[in-house]
Amino acid sequence: MTATRTVTFPAGIVEAGLGTVTREIPASEPPPWPPNAELTWIGKDVPRLNGREKVTGATRYTVDIRLPGMLHARFLRSPLPSAELRKLDTSAAAALAGVRAVVVLARSGDRLRYAGQPVAAVAAVSPGVAGEALAAIDAEFRPLPFVVDMDEARAPDAPLVYDEASVPKGNPSGFPAAPGLPVVGNVRGPAVVRRGDPAQGFAAADIVVEGEYRTQVQTHSCLEPHAIVADWRADGLTVYMSTQFTSGVRQELAALFGLPLNRVRVVVDGMGGGFGSKSQLGVYGRTAVELSRLAGLPVRLALNRHEEQTDAGNRPGTSQRVRLGAKRDGTLTALAIESHGTAGVALGAGIGFFAERIYTCPNFETLQHDVFVNAGPGCAMRGPGNTPGAHGLEQAIDTLAERLGLDPLALRDRIDPSKARREERRIGAERIGWSRRHAPGADPGPVKRGLGVAQSLWMSNVQTNVACEVRVLRDGSVEALSSVQDIGTGIGTVMAQVVAEVLGLRPAEITVRIGDTEFPPGGPSYGSRTTASITPPLRTAATRVLAELGREAARMLNAAPEELEARDGRLRVKSDPARSLAFRDAAALLRTDRISAVESRADDYPGFRRRMPDAAMALEDLGGVQFAEVAVDTETGAIHVERVVAVHDCGRPMNRLLLESQVQGGVLMGVSYALLERRVMDRRTGLMVNADLEHYKLAGAHDTPEIEVVILENLQGSSATDAYGIAEPANIATAPAIANAVYNAIGVRLASLPMTPDAVLAALGKTGRS
Amino acid sequence: MTAPDMAGPGKTAITLAVNGTSRQLELEPRTTLAEALRNALGLTGTKIACDRGACSACTVWLNGQPVLSCMALAIDAAGQEITTIEGLAQGDVLHPVQEAFIEHDAMQCGFCTPGMVMSCAALLERDPHPDAAAVRDAIAGHYCRCGTYPHVVAATLAAAERKP
Amino acid sequence: MNRFAYANPATLAEAAATTGLVAQAMVTLDEGAVLKAGGIDLLDLLKSELLTPSVVVNLRAIKGLDVIAQDATGNLSIGAMATLAEVAAHPLVRASYPALATAIAGAAGPQLRNVATIGGNLLQRPHCWYLRSPAHHCLRKGGGHCFAIRGENQYHAIFDNHACAIVHPSTAATALVALKAEVELHEAQGAVRRLPLEDFFVGPDDDIQRENALRPREVLTAIRLRKPPASTRMAHLRQGEKAGFDWPLADVAVVLTLDLEGICREVCVVLGAAAPVPHRARAAEQALLGQRLDDATASDAARAALRGATPLSHNDYKLALFETLVRRAILATLA
Repeated sequence: MTATRTVTFPAGIVEAGLGTVTREIPASEPPPWPPNAELTWIGKDVPRLNGREKVTGATRYTVDIRLPGMLHARFLRSPLPSAELRKLDTSAAAALAGVRAVVVLARSGDRLRYAGQPVAAVAAVSPGVAGEALAAIDAEFRPLPFVVDMDEARAPDAPLVYDEASVPKGNPSGFPAAPGLPVVGNVRGPAVVRRGDPAQGFAAADIVVEGEYRTQVQTHSCLEPHAIVADWRADGLTVYMSTQFTSGVRQELAALFGLPLNRVRVVVDGMGGGFGSKSQLGVYGRTAVELSRLAGLPVRLALNRHEEQTDAGNRPGTSQRVRLGAKRDGTLTALAIESHGTAGVALGAGIGFFAERIYTCPNFETLQHDVFVNAGPGCAMRGPGNTPGAHGLEQAIDTLAERLGLDPLALRDRIDPSKARREERRIGAERIGWSRRHAPGADPGPVKRGLGVAQSLWMSNVQTNVACEVRVLRDGSVEALSSVQDIGTGIGTVMAQVVAEVLGLRPAEITVRIGDTEFPPGGPSYGSRTTASITPPLRTAATRVLAELGREAARMLNAAPEELEARDGRLRVKSDPARSLAFRDAAALLRTDRISAVESRADDYPGFRRRMPDAAMALEDLGGVQFAEVAVDTETGAIHVERVVAVHDCGRPMNRLLLESQVQGGVLMGVSYALLERRVMDRRTGLMVNADLEHYKLAGAHDTPEIEVVILENLQGSSATDAYGIAEPANIATAPAIANAVYNAIGVRLASLPMTPDAVLAALGKTGRS
Repeated sequence: MTAPDMAGPGKTAITLAVNGTSRQLELEPRTTLAEALRNALGLTGTKIACDRGACSACTVWLNGQPVLSCMALAIDAAGQEITTIEGLAQGDVLHPVQEAFIEHDAMQCGFCTPGMVMSCAALLERDPHPDAAAVRDAIAGHYCRCGTYPHVVAATLAAAERKP
Repeated sequence: MNRFAYANPATLAEAAATTGLVAQAMVTLDEGAVLKAGGIDLLDLLKSELLTPSVVVNLRAIKGLDVIAQDATGNLSIGAMATLAEVAAHPLVRASYPALATAIAGAAGPQLRNVATIGGNLLQRPHCWYLRSPAHHCLRKGGGHCFAIRGENQYHAIFDNHACAIVHPSTAATALVALKAEVELHEAQGAVRRLPLEDFFVGPDDDIQRENALRPREVLTAIRLRKPPASTRMAHLRQGEKAGFDWPLADVAVVLTLDLEGICREVCVVLGAAAPVPHRARAAEQALLGQRLDDATASDAARAALRGATPLSHNDYKLALFETLVRRAILATLA
């Protein structure tokens, strides 16, 4: 039994009035932090510490790495959406001057299931020679029937993407897929979640609304492509990789190549965007390492833009039939959703747990189906499942509110049990000017304005397999170390804030070393979990080294160690601040050149909702409410999102400047999803025709609304920092908030994404396909 | 009729004036300016993202004007003043736009940032006191998947305030 | 990109001498030599290996091709090598041809406008995603059929689209055709021919593999604009999916003159992104001639502009969109 002590934490939403909560916590945990207002660095707008490197071009991204003797690898890919590989002869390619290694990824007779599926790879002294080697590979593909459209794939006579033997059982991309579900044709499922009795719930309803909503396939479109430089040597493997999870990639590599973990090192400095798609080693990673092993030289493999858009993951498209039953006062009696989604040849195209958790409803059912098509595999993308899921349900909730004659906020006040979101609705309504909201389509003239709201829900993930180290050196310099990677969130800066807060130093005085598996395992940067996972053990480790340093200082100051505090670069006696020692002078007293503490993530103090081998889910979900104001030109179909107010919670906000950036990013990705993005597959050739950044459209500066970000301080007394994530919640509510605003503007619901001018004109009955 | 100057298709001597220094290179005529900067000169601050002129990550200055280095041949840049992100600061003194980008957190993953900085700095050279619409116009060709546009606009306006 | 030699001629004659197969950059998918102006579209084609020339002939060292100047009668000559940024910012263009300045400002992002030339813009190849895809051997590349007609055609033509459904990619062309611009073409031997820009563009029925009438060994050197009468009014409007730079779903240029009574006496209405070449909406023009411009006449003309359109499976939204833009562009000339 570990020793514990009972302590009282500040708890509640600071903006709404703070209370306390008493917890029994392990004795080794640091004491509660007060609200941010009473802290020096936590919650403040600390600019990111690696900003100088980023604005001067000095940051090294994986694509920037050049090693002596480095080879360049390229893939031969299937040119057809469905084919039998009839012949694959790489001997001529292997014999070309300058070609150092060839890897075969498919055998003669194999079935290839999407255009762009890797077949072989070569490594050569230059990209040009690698290209010549690809041309020298003798490969024959026999075309087979294919289907790339989800609706066509559901037809009884559709070409089959898989047969019974080959159908995937789980999901290699890491996004969970329920095991053991039936497969009929190209449709796998349903995965069923049920509570209560939905049929009875609908029977008891005063009103039932039903709607069908569709979401498109979105590509991650990371600006830095998936890239790796693999350096296999006799004494071990070093991999430089644009990854969201260094220590996970190390695990995969060690297992795959039979290497001990201490012979595999994974490094990432700059990381040019992942959004879920760079969470695993992947075929490209595995292939580069194999090529390096064969060649005995470092190998660089970076996808080109076409490969990046076709075979680097995507957010699956969905179609959702949503039914809601309610009493006249808005109380939900039943909620049922049947969804079909497609992640191409992969699984994981569901609508998440958004509907399952967000509203109080005794009778609930989701039936989620995966539909296979001959297209590149989908994978997790910023709020996977819940982002398309929210798009359906949040529009259905608005429809219900209208039918009940209730304000959409009033209905949500009735059925949403979350305290955080209640506060967020209140603040957001005030900021957006919700009282101005008029009846749907009420504006005169061709350009009509509207206001809309939608809500967010994401799980509070915690990686429990996380550790970090804090070191104090005898000259007073300080290091914080972890394999955690900065994928753009600025986690290194947050780490420096935590250590600086504990040691009484400035964040810039903390050297943060991350993105390298030589350091303690930092966990993944996906699932909005990085800050929640790493900041508590970091604070604990910093507290421990401070205690050790304090023992030396206390002797010098003739005080007891517990009488000391660290502030403003000094260790001082709390009751008599004049008795103090500079931090650096205290460090000079150390008996060794360096002291250090390594700590791992303790469990949340009140326990977890759910526990997995290396991760867990905190008790309280993450919320978030977003409001959108749009102007719709009913004669051109153009939608302009003028303003978004995004009100979010993430436990204790650690750095408001960086959080604001992330929320703006989530909103922007949501605007882009709502209005522009769409993977276009040509049904007759089975090829993606907009595999570029010209016709695959992303939101730019002119598409950016004015974004107002509000972040609550929601203290829960659940860990040493009380910090949780925000990246995914920030993305989930945006598209439905815009869709609801568009409805409010024009009085016609656009049930499908993206809401491009052609879709708006069609919805308004101004085209033949309305 | 005289015959014109010809070079290539093999490697040919090309002199590029980069960040105030003359650099002698042996390049094939098909080499893009972005490739020459990144591969031949190791100036990897210039990024290639779409490789087709659709994202502006590769923005550098040619004679002070922002251009896309992935859509330019290196041989065409011979004889012109090339400024890359590595050459924008004066020694240790950052350009005001760089300073403001840090203060306003006008970056996330940072991959588009060098190009954004080059476009915003070029704007201020040409128009010392732009409004927000002018900044948005200057970065209209840029993509940022992390969504930093609001902070990029704020940072550039702040840098303009600071400039004498 | 394939390996190619690079020629840097100092004169047009030298450029023409480079090879027997000189064709204007971005005009032919043939091998041989290609001319390079700004090089933006050329590099795109080279990178996709839709063009694999043995020689790239740089035109930028030839002096005088980028001059923008007014002659004694007030007509304007725009050198084909003038960049889009230079043209859009030129005081004479802004003063007398504001619709052209607007069209060009929206033609590309600022970094591209600093390099792309007005000549290259007119000669760029269509951005049809099937044409640009090396995997689709379409009619225009010598293949058997147009993939767009029965495929993904939301961005494609609603007029003259029975053989090939490309739309002309140049918004500058929309404005220039409406302004009745002429192009100046230099032949290798030094001969010069002038052609109305409208006649310069070639539809699929005339030649499926090219978009203009440029001959081998001929160089587009200038665009000439007549001095507009004082009573001229003009507007260019566009609508993309994106609010910033985007290929237009539709763009419209209207140039007209009104007499002292406010009656329309001369008018040209051109639709871009509507057809394989900039599309003159003659029925709309007829509807406006002799009329006073107001909501009703503009609406009538806008409806007339779309008469005879043959939208494809995914682009009938363009009818409503063009109707709006034509009406608004006509009314915008009054502003």
